[in-house]
Amino acid sequence: MTITMTYSLRKFALTVHLTSSVGWIGAVVAYPALDITAVTSQDVQLVRAAYLAMELTALYVIVPLAFAALLTGLVMSVSTKWGLFRHYWVVITLVLTIFSTVVLLLETQTISYLAELAASGVDPRELPGTLPHSGGGLLMLLVITVLNVYKPRGMTQYGWRKQQQHRKESSAVDAGLT
Amino acid sequence: MSQTHERPDRGSTPGIPRWMKVFGIVALILVLLLVVLMLIGGGEHGPGRHIPSGVPGGGGYTLPIEHRIQQS
Repeated sequence: MTITMTYSLRKFALTVHLTSSVGWIGAVVAYPALDITAVTSQDVQLVRAAYLAMELTALYVIVPLAFAALLTGLVMSVSTKWGLFRHYWVVITLVLTIFSTVVLLLETQTISYLAELAASGVDPRELPGTLPHSGGGLLMLLVITVLNVYKPRGMTQYGWRKQQQHRKESSAVDAGLT
Repeated sequence: MSQTHERPDRGSTPGIPRWMKVFGIVALILVLLLVVLMLIGGGEHGPGRHIPSGVPGGGGYTLPIEHRIQQS
């Protein structure tokens, strides 16, 4: 399936996609600074503030950017020659992005819970961090970035069939013209 | 050359590229490593395993909704 978009609309979608994707990575890079502070600092007020900031960052920055990147990525795929299921790198990118978004949504429940505990009377220095998940998320996003920059060769069976079909149609048109 | 749907005019269907095979193997190793780490950690996943027993939800992760029910 390919959706035809005007040049200006495609450029706008690309701008939103790049901005949200880069913003997502930037926010996930900044997040561990709060996470590490939360698990290493002995200052109760600072640790409490770090947990609250982790929740705000996750809920109001990382999650919206993740959804924006996913949705605009889908739009970009179906409106360009790359398609959604034609090239392995696009398929892997889609799978990793959906997986990262789902894990992120599940993790926000944990982060909110930790922030809730930190805001209560509990000593926040006894609470755990979320470094394994934020580190894993960052790794996923870096893999996605590398795939999107290098665009390694490799067409899926579906993509190959579509390409052959397109070539046949082009040949038929050329034959009809001559 | 005949042009049927099953056997188009441009050779055989493409195989899985080498980078995909390497990617798949690395992903499989990472997943297995995670499973082993989770099994070593007692099968628990989440911050509950680190939360001390004095803290609500300690000794086993409690979802926020469950935590609120316990408090009420």
